[in-house]
Amino acid sequence: MQVLIILVESLIIGTLVGLAVGIGAARMFNAPTVQALGAFRTLGEMNASEGDPASHFSFGLGFFFNAWASTVAAGSFTQDVTHRVIPNWAATLLMLKNHDEKEMQDPKKMGIAGALVGAVVVAFLNLTSSALPQSLQITAVKVLVPAATLLINSVMPVIFWLAAIDGGKRSGIFGTVFGGLAQLIMGNAVPGVVLGILVGKGVDESGWNKITKIILIATILLFILSAFFRGSDLILLKQLNVGVPAWLQQIHAAIGG
Amino acid sequence: MDNSEKSIEEKELELKNTKSFWYADWSFPIIVGLMSAGVFAGTSMYFNYGTGAFNEVAFVAMLKAGMTGGSYGACAAFGASFLFARILEGSLDGILDLGGSILTGVGLGIPAILLSMNIKEPIKNFPLALLTGAIIGVIIGFIIYAIRHFTLKQSSSTFGADIMMGAGNETGRFLGPLIIISAAQASIPIGLGAIIGAVLFYAWKKPITGGAIIGAMIAGLFFPIKV
Repeated sequence: MQVLIILVESLIIGTLVGLAVGIGAARMFNAPTVQALGAFRTLGEMNASEGDPASHFSFGLGFFFNAWASTVAAGSFTQDVTHRVIPNWAATLLMLKNHDEKEMQDPKKMGIAGALVGAVVVAFLNLTSSALPQSLQITAVKVLVPAATLLINSVMPVIFWLAAIDGGKRSGIFGTVFGGLAQLIMGNAVPGVVLGILVGKGVDESGWNKITKIILIATILLFILSAFFRGSDLILLKQLNVGVPAWLQQIHAAIGG
Repeated sequence: MDNSEKSIEEKELELKNTKSFWYADWSFPIIVGLMSAGVFAGTSMYFNYGTGAFNEVAFVAMLKAGMTGGSYGACAAFGASFLFARILEGSLDGILDLGGSILTGVGLGIPAILLSMNIKEPIKNFPLALLTGAIIGVIIGFIIYAIRHFTLKQSSSTFGADIMMGAGNETGRFLGPLIIISAAQASIPIGLGAIIGAVLFYAWKKPITGGAIIGAMIAGLFFPIKV
């Protein structure tokens, strides 16, 4: 029964995503006249295959295997399914007939081909992944969870932090301040560093205008609110060896923070 | 990009087509809506069955951290800021980046925000997930449509999206070695399996993450570890 549900849901999802990816990718060939949905790397790679269906197919296949491994192991398709597998295989389908590069620039044809490819690919990935024997899944969890924990708690904060510092003085300063505060308040520095990069680079590139000011204020508000609701203010006062005033505790009790 | 240099008549032909669904700006929100519906529902499948998320292992792991009792904060902020940056950028250069805006923003960031507020229904319930995703997508599409039509194209800032993307991809590269490390800590056969898989994938010029996981799982099939 569950297999059937997964099949039906996968077909729906695959058709929707494939349709949108196909249309979006074909529209990229007409951007910026036409607003498209895709990625610059997809555009470059699709041009590189020069209208040869075999090279489109094998390019997609390489990424398909990687996506399959990742789905079977962790349930994650990788972004390559939408960026590479579906667009390139849809192009393959269209060019089988007449090897014409124009085919993949037609949103209608690409949308239909994409929907077909998407439905098949998503159903295949989800069914093979959910049909795994129990012992395999236990191994996957035993291996993946510690690796992911290390990744999220140590590697990611460090990489994002260094990227913020390398991104220039402003993103380095905002990234460090917000990153440090995020580690204190939220238990992970990544959100803070990301917001720091956002503010820092925004100001670098377009100055202190309305948008960047709003982002900065929203970020500060986010920190204040999360600190309050996680009770960071109470912990801080306790650790400073200062008593917590009764009115503050009452506010917390009243709002439920 | 040789096709931007292609003849003027082709461009004119396109302009003639801009009224039709397949080329028009007005249909863009619908396309984003379809995309978001599928991706959001994919996250719903991941939530329910542990498979089907449209993103990299490393990014989905952030959502997983929240699902298994940790905080959704990292995932929510990561996804939401990507979404924000990509919407601004996408309306300016004509290509809305699928990975940052829909896959990471709508597929991970928004579900993480909802789940952190303990709103589970739109993610648990499949039809509701399709609907939620579609609505979010149409809204995003409209925002881009509006920015394209009603503002002067003055700001060219990407708000550091390239830096975040670079760091995100760099993080993904770390996962391969980390998986071998944690496979080696699980048991010796599983560790050996991960090493062999990673080496084969490396020789085959594929990211070693996939090889390490498959190798570890095949070894785990023959030499299961006790829970």
